[in-house]
Amino acid sequence: MRKKLESFLTSKYILIGLTVICLFFIGTSFFTDSLTKPLQTAISYVVVPLQKGMNNIGLWISDKIDNMQEISDVLAKNEELQSQVDALTEENNLLKQDTYELDRLRKLYALDNQYSQYNKVGANVIGISSDNWYSSLTLDKGSNDGISVDMNVVASGGLVGIITEVGPNYSIVKTIVEDKSYVSGMIIDNNQTCMVEGDVELMDTGKVHLNHFSASTTVRDGDKIVTSNISDKYLQGILIGYASEVSPDSNNLTQSGYLIPAVDFNNLQEVLIITDLKTTT
Amino acid sequence: MKRKITELVLILVFYLLQVSIGRVIAIGGIVPNFLIILPVVFGFLNGRNEGMFVGFFSGVMYDLYSTNLFGFSALVFIYAGFIAGFFYEKYEKYEILIPVAMVFVSDFIYGFLGYIGNFLLHNRLNAGFFISRIIMPEVVYTCICTFILYKGLEYLNDKLNIVNKKKRGVNYDEGNI
Repeated sequence: MRKKLESFLTSKYILIGLTVICLFFIGTSFFTDSLTKPLQTAISYVVVPLQKGMNNIGLWISDKIDNMQEISDVLAKNEELQSQVDALTEENNLLKQDTYELDRLRKLYALDNQYSQYNKVGANVIGISSDNWYSSLTLDKGSNDGISVDMNVVASGGLVGIITEVGPNYSIVKTIVEDKSYVSGMIIDNNQTCMVEGDVELMDTGKVHLNHFSASTTVRDGDKIVTSNISDKYLQGILIGYASEVSPDSNNLTQSGYLIPAVDFNNLQEVLIITDLKTTT
Repeated sequence: MKRKITELVLILVFYLLQVSIGRVIAIGGIVPNFLIILPVVFGFLNGRNEGMFVGFFSGVMYDLYSTNLFGFSALVFIYAGFIAGFFYEKYEKYEILIPVAMVFVSDFIYGFLGYIGNFLLHNRLNAGFFISRIIMPEVVYTCICTFILYKGLEYLNDKLNIVNKKKRGVNYDEGNI
């Protein structure tokens, strides 16, 4: 009996001790991450290589499963596509002639493509956030590869998010579909600004909120929304997505609706990190 | 010592399962919470102290690369392991429903506390959505994973116990001679 009581007491003291440690951690993490940073760095040397390996195994398995399912679809599609190829070759020839003309005109107006002037680095997605509330991604490039916080991340022509944390060999991206993510955007044609706000409650629809259009703006479904010139972290002119269902708010001063992201967040494997930072003066 | 190291390796493996393989096995964007299984199961099989030890380290691992407050999961996991420890040696180890029920309760409480901290306090009052779309699917998926993994964990635990007992046995013999 006495032994039992003793063991209860010691485990009780351990519990109190650990609780105090945890509360101390929680308290300090409100103000600074200098306590966790060394720990993160140390453990990342073990975790990241393993994660890369696990990720490859996972991808290999899901690839094989997908292949099985797709092979019958592909055969049927192949025939259909072959006939399309013939038609498109014809069309392509016509378009090529137009391209020459376009190039000439572009040079004339000294227009250059905004996107291609940024320096980019490729990276692989090797992990997701451990909880289901947020959908941040872990990438396999870190400060050793010249990555730093606030760099923009793009994939397949659209904005993925922004880098919020960097370790020596990994970095964490906050995606635009994630809760509490705010991106300042604008309509590409008329530079009317708006806010793109992620929301976990829209996770089934794949959309995000699009708010704060002024009431006088006309927004059509499918209007291209790009990152705005007034954002202090996002480089100007990166495609975020397409507007949909924008309607006036009850206050009659602003309009809001939804935005369909240009990136498919379900199957993101490779992303590009833009290594240029938006410098604010 | 061997036991502690094995547990730490197990935590690492479960963490990797969650963040890497989780992407492949996610259903509707929901990944099971592998890391909460460990403190509950080890608390159930080996008592409070073991549960708290595993809970602390798996909680730290859980928080390390997430945007949450550092230490919150560790706190909840410690209590999950501690409370699971009350059932130590009260039930037979093959009573699989007991640990599964404990995982169910702990993961639900953990999820709900996470909802309060992350969303309710930010005026997101749509609790029905969060419970039915995120918390409950995660809880159910985690329970299914516990069903699958429990036998393996129990086997591993027995193996480690045998190693410890053998060592002790040898020591006693030497003392008698």
